[in-house]
Amino acid sequence: MQEETNIPFVFKAISLISLAILLVPVGVVVLAGLNAGDYLTFPPQGLSLRWIKAFLTSSMFLSAYGVSFVVALVSTLISTTIGTMAAIYLTRSRGPFVSFLRGFFMLPIVLPGVVLGLALYVFYVTSDLGLARTMTGLLIGHVIVTCPFVIATVTAALVGFDRSLEEAARSLGASPFTAFRLVTLKVISSAISAGAIFAFIVSFGQFEVTLFLSAPDLQTLPSAMYVSMRYKFEPTAAAAGIFAIALVVLSMVVTSRLVNLKRIFER
Amino acid sequence: MSDIHLKKLTKSYGGHLAVAGINLHIAEGEFFSLLGPSGCGKSTTLRMIAGFVQPTSGEIIIGADDVTSLPPEKRDIGIVFQNYAIFPHMNVADNIAFGLKLRKRPRDEIRRRVTDALRQVGLSGYEERYQRELSGGEQQRVALARVLVTEPRILLLDEPLSALDKSLREEMKYWIKDLQKKLGITTVYVTHDQDEALTMSDRIGVMQKAQVVQVGTPQEIYEAPKTLFVTTFIGHSNVMDVIVGSGSGSDMTVLIDGNPVPTRGPENLVPGQPVKLVVRPENVVIGPDQETPVRLPATVLSETYQGSLIRYRLSLGGQEIIAERQNQSGNERFNPGTPVTVGWDPGRSEALVA
Repeated sequence: MQEETNIPFVFKAISLISLAILLVPVGVVVLAGLNAGDYLTFPPQGLSLRWIKAFLTSSMFLSAYGVSFVVALVSTLISTTIGTMAAIYLTRSRGPFVSFLRGFFMLPIVLPGVVLGLALYVFYVTSDLGLARTMTGLLIGHVIVTCPFVIATVTAALVGFDRSLEEAARSLGASPFTAFRLVTLKVISSAISAGAIFAFIVSFGQFEVTLFLSAPDLQTLPSAMYVSMRYKFEPTAAAAGIFAIALVVLSMVVTSRLVNLKRIFER
Repeated sequence: MSDIHLKKLTKSYGGHLAVAGINLHIAEGEFFSLLGPSGCGKSTTLRMIAGFVQPTSGEIIIGADDVTSLPPEKRDIGIVFQNYAIFPHMNVADNIAFGLKLRKRPRDEIRRRVTDALRQVGLSGYEERYQRELSGGEQQRVALARVLVTEPRILLLDEPLSALDKSLREEMKYWIKDLQKKLGITTVYVTHDQDEALTMSDRIGVMQKAQVVQVGTPQEIYEAPKTLFVTTFIGHSNVMDVIVGSGSGSDMTVLIDGNPVPTRGPENLVPGQPVKLVVRPENVVIGPDQETPVRLPATVLSETYQGSLIRYRLSLGGQEIIAERQNQSGNERFNPGTPVTVGWDPGRSEALVA
């Protein structure tokens, strides 16, 4: 462990300033959501829970919040599974197409969300799969967007993973699957959790792709906030933002607790 | 416990031969080393015995069973890796219990056998430690305990000492050998370190370019090397360019500076044929008072003091050779430029065709 005093003061100052800049928008949203005035203004005209109440009684926002939560949860589960499997294939296969496939899997990060959203929308509408404006269609979009985050974190862990651990397990009597389950999966579990948190956060805040795939009765929180801002300019959107931030923070805390608890139990 | 038969074992990677049809028999309870430089195929051979690499052709027979196509988990083989491969997410006790749990042994039997195994490797009380809390030597002991607790038929060791520092390496060398002897387990040891192979092995198989070039006891390998590669890879050797004077086999001479010098050599040599004459530095004796069948005039080029040894560079018939002399009291020292007589026992020299 490095002594804190060894870090130059300039570095500390720069990190503090960066952190402050990153956290300013969060503060702005929270204060705006607690505004007592009629419109979204900053600084707020007095503090009140007025718009928090408005959010909690707005069926549009509440259902959007629910949709976002479900979409984030389900797409996280799917992309964590698929992404982990893809990462294993990408790090272990010696096939000639692996580097091409790796690039292909990472494409959704590079591609502008608008392009991806438009492409999916056109595909859904023109094909007869009945995916346009459905939950399934929306989930597919979110899995495509979140999967690369899982693949990237799990791949990083697998690249550093020592294959002789798996071979030792095999030699001690474990089948390939048992060796994977008892050794490999356990060793890379924290990377998988990190990938899942990433996926959840990305899905929960996803906007551009969602814009093309949502319908009036299937709206996620970011698109509900956008619609509200566009037509009403009420602080309800900021109040919704507070709840969004709260959920993300909560999910991170819970996940890190779960992962840590598991470690404690194993000891 | 079982013996191992390797029959025409071959592994090729896209046309490149990593192991080229080797035949070996490793006896029950034997400590057998595969010795060779990196890339000679020794690790691939070990990995084929372990089951991690599928041979291109050939057979691996352990005891009475042909295991060639069996997966590693069905071979009943213990392997210790160069980096020990201790599971980082389990403590020492769980690491050692891993194989027993897979074999569904009762809980109290597992606990008892883990305790016994730890005592055997001298790590009693280490049950709760994690890999990051262990030194290299301790990790190696845990890796051995983890393997031995399952009572495998064969023990494979893949350069297990190369990650340790020198003094620990010396200690572990004897410790592993003693443990192996006590258990009487058939052991295949892969190393590029001739020192380890010579001290630990019952027999050594020297590998070069995907082939086993010589198999023998440490003494045979060191004192009667069959090829130039073996003689230069194991220990230091003086290699002189000479021509055959007469005869061949055990009754032959070579010419050094026109003088016939008796030596051992291969059969079917023709007088005048160029060969290499190999003599170990410790067998070259210097001084006029030496009673050796071979006596030749030489000149001292330099003298190097090495503590227990004095090392001389000599010029013999225009070629440079090295002589090592015990630094005993009463042994005469020779200054550079001094003309001296050198000699050796012909039984300690070997003519080899390059």
